[in-house]
Amino acid sequence: MTSHTRLAALAICAAGCFTPLVALSHAALIEAETAQAVRLHAFYDTGEPMSHAQVIIYAPDNPVSAWGQGVTDRDGRLEFVLGPETGRWSFQVRQSGHGAMVHVEVGDDAPVVTATSSAQSWGQRLVMVALVGWGALGTALFALARRKGRDASA
Amino acid sequence: MAQGVYDKYYNSSYDRKALPMIRFCLLATVATFASFTAQAGSLTLFASGEDLATEGFNAPKLTKDGWALEFNRITATFDQITAWQTDPPFMAEGPEISGVALPFDGPFTVDLVDADDADRVALATVDAPAGHFNALSWALVPGDDGFSLVLEGIARKDGQEVSFTLRSTDSVAHACGEYLGDARKGFVTEGGEADLEITLHLDHLFGRADKAEDDEMNLEAIGFEPFAAGGEFELSLEGLHLGHVGEGHCYDFAH
Repeated sequence: MTSHTRLAALAICAAGCFTPLVALSHAALIEAETAQAVRLHAFYDTGEPMSHAQVIIYAPDNPVSAWGQGVTDRDGRLEFVLGPETGRWSFQVRQSGHGAMVHVEVGDDAPVVTATSSAQSWGQRLVMVALVGWGALGTALFALARRKGRDASA
Repeated sequence: MAQGVYDKYYNSSYDRKALPMIRFCLLATVATFASFTAQAGSLTLFASGEDLATEGFNAPKLTKDGWALEFNRITATFDQITAWQTDPPFMAEGPEISGVALPFDGPFTVDLVDADDADRVALATVDAPAGHFNALSWALVPGDDGFSLVLEGIARKDGQEVSFTLRSTDSVAHACGEYLGDARKGFVTEGGEADLEITLHLDHLFGRADKAEDDEMNLEAIGFEPFAAGGEFELSLEGLHLGHVGEGHCYDFAH
């Protein structure tokens, strides 16, 4: 749990102590948390996207076994949320018997990173990986107290 | 040797009180060497022409100009082979690789048609330090017969059947990145076994009928039509980029 999460949880608990029970019983909590996300874009040097290419992801703490996998969309893009592990994440993109591997170093204070992988001569495969939505915003908690119950008791 | 040292000290005027210490030292030495041995694993290198070599070009995987090919033999000679541990990972964007090098003795001449169930032919196994071998350099070189690559077989199309032999004397060096395939390869662990693969993509030579005509590979591939008369032909490998590591690419250059 991050410090932001702890603070937010503490705030909610404190608020609960001073809120009438009837109101609390109708409260709805929506938890939204930003996380480190990756946007991958795979295409050929002609600009043609690597549509529906297989993407296999390897985490820093286990580079042998796949951490996750997915398929690029028709524009050659795939977005997903990384795990908390820091270090070298590897992304293998394969299509029609050809592939490319790119690596991204992710640290605690990692900036947006772009990596490319290319092949020699004709039909070069280019894969760009960028970290987006880095979790600087921490955790946001929203407490929405419906006033219906309180209004009814009024 | 160890026993000789033991006897020398035991039979000499050396104080027998030192015997336990000598014994301890000998055991420590043996343990040290055993430890080094345990830290090393092995790395086996394979070569493959994939199923296109072992099974040939059959529908729908005909050549780009519609020929079915059956190979009697595909002999290739590989030399100057070195597996590498590179950090940052080598991305096959140039000829130079730097890192921890593990050379293989060569040359190796193999028939890629006479392969195992996984379409691979073993070249050699060497002791290796632990780590990820994520790059491979190798060269296709002329063998004892003067040819680096020989493809011999039968081609069929529309009731026509021709025998062919394609031979190349070209030397092509390759600097390859990480092996790409269904599983990552090259991870040597203590006492473990790992492997790497040199892969020749024959569809870069003949093209593929099951791919689009304007596919980059088909645009560059020779196809079989230039050899349709049958017989023996000299083959240039320039610009074909046959050499891969699985589906991973290599930087290749005339050698």
